Amino acid sequence: MSENRILVRKPTAAPSTEPAAPTFTVDGGINGKRVGFRTDSAWRSWSLIADIWNGYLQRDGATTDSYETHGMIGDTGATDREQIDKLAETVDFAIVGLGTCGSCTSFTIADSVAFEDHEKPVIAVVTEEFATHGHNVANHLGHGDLKVLVLPYPLEALPKEELLQIADDFYPKALELLGVTQ
Amino acid sequence: MTAVLQQEQIEVPADPYDFYELSLEEQWGDGVPLIPPTDDYVQALIASTPYAADHVVAILPPKQLVATVELIAINAAMAGVEPDALPLVIAALEALSAPEWNALGLTTTTSSVFPMLIVDGPARDRFHIDYKASCMGGAAGRGSMTIGRAVALCLRNIGGQRAGDTTRSVFGQPARFGFCIGEWEERSPWPSLATRAGFSTDQDVVTVHGGKGTFPLADINNDDATDLLFLIAKSLAYPLSNLYLGGGENGEIVVAINPIWADRFKVPFPDVEDLQVFLQANAWQPLSSWPEANQEVFRKKGRVGKDDRMYLVERPDQIIPMVCGGLGSLHAIALPSFGESHIQSVAAQYAPR
Repeated sequence: MSENRILVRKPTAAPSTEPAAPTFTVDGGINGKRVGFRTDSAWRSWSLIADIWNGYLQRDGATTDSYETHGMIGDTGATDREQIDKLAETVDFAIVGLGTCGSCTSFTIADSVAFEDHEKPVIAVVTEEFATHGHNVANHLGHGDLKVLVLPYPLEALPKEELLQIADDFYPKALELLGVTQ
Repeated sequence: MTAVLQQEQIEVPADPYDFYELSLEEQWGDGVPLIPPTDDYVQALIASTPYAADHVVAILPPKQLVATVELIAINAAMAGVEPDALPLVIAALEALSAPEWNALGLTTTTSSVFPMLIVDGPARDRFHIDYKASCMGGAAGRGSMTIGRAVALCLRNIGGQRAGDTTRSVFGQPARFGFCIGEWEERSPWPSLATRAGFSTDQDVVTVHGGKGTFPLADINNDDATDLLFLIAKSLAYPLSNLYLGGGENGEIVVAINPIWADRFKVPFPDVEDLQVFLQANAWQPLSSWPEANQEVFRKKGRVGKDDRMYLVERPDQIIPMVCGGLGSLHAIALPSFGESHIQSVAAQYAPR
């Protein structure tokens, strides 16, 4: 080593080398299936879209079970995580949203992981601005292959008619990503 | 005893300017020059703790990577932390890793929130942690400037927090360089944050608050302490506070009170719990302060209180007074909360002497 060089320790942590957890697909029709919906009290746009999809799924023969989250921590957060886990136990597949901010994307992904941990097909729904972040969080949580449906951004403050159109446009994509065949 | 270091050893320029340029290229830093983490410096830092170099302190988000004592010491060295102060950095990282602090949410949010460190105990003077004049910026105590910075560098280099990438903070805030202050316990008429959390006065305790920024309050018109506290309470309840986004049960707002005002406030409120009750009871705005669309959301969430009052927080313990700052009076500073985070306190653990 030359005298104008010194030795130091690298300050960054080594990235995880764990393989991604398995993902699951429906591989069949939705008639007779029980579908879980996770909505978030923060996002009115997503509640509207989820409501429309709920109706379409029921029309197509599925039963639906929805849970709206309200918090990340405290009693509210603990209840939310407990209810998501229960939902993951009882449904055949699930649609989880919405990631349209930093922390809510992180929790959308974390709650989606709860369904994959129960070996259930699931899609995490995020908006375009937070798509990369959603994939990153999934990767960091060891579920790098988690299926992520990307909706346009921003959704909040869009007129209701536009949100209804988005719901219609993206419903087939949601089913395709889940592996629904009919 | 010499610790066994396992992090990769790399050759870097000895010239400070060249090392600075390399650190920018490698994205190790915060834009400000760093101290090279040589083995001697890293060893001295680790020696101040009771832990082995490979002891795991935390799993740090966003990337969920392992923070060992060695990696923390390397980043603390780069921040310029005094060797014996490493236990305070470790205590802060332990505190923010508590599930109720919600590090996953807070390190990835669009909000400006960042760990704000408040230190109680003898460490304040020992390590030059500012708690008197200009303690929130400008006093330049080594402890204040380096301990908070070390925590920020750990989140960056171990947790992988990078602006615009893994963290989506829209604006960030100056505290993202590092924020570490002390509490002026000796001038506080009330028990310190640490003793309120169950620690003793001879312990060095780091309290970590997820703070969105420094929110300044000022007054020169009130002679009555209770009237002034009433106005402070009203000011905390600003309509676009994060604490109005959720259900009201999570998150705290820290209120830093200068020693002169603290002397006035102790007369009507000698007990801190009574002070907190008063602040919570008056930290509200009428529902009519918000447009109809917001009112509808609040009603749906069950946030509207009696007589259409919109209370900032559900409980008195969510408003946390503390004493610090200079003797010029006239000002208080609120440290507003992200909401979905609970303040955490951890005592520093030192190597046996």
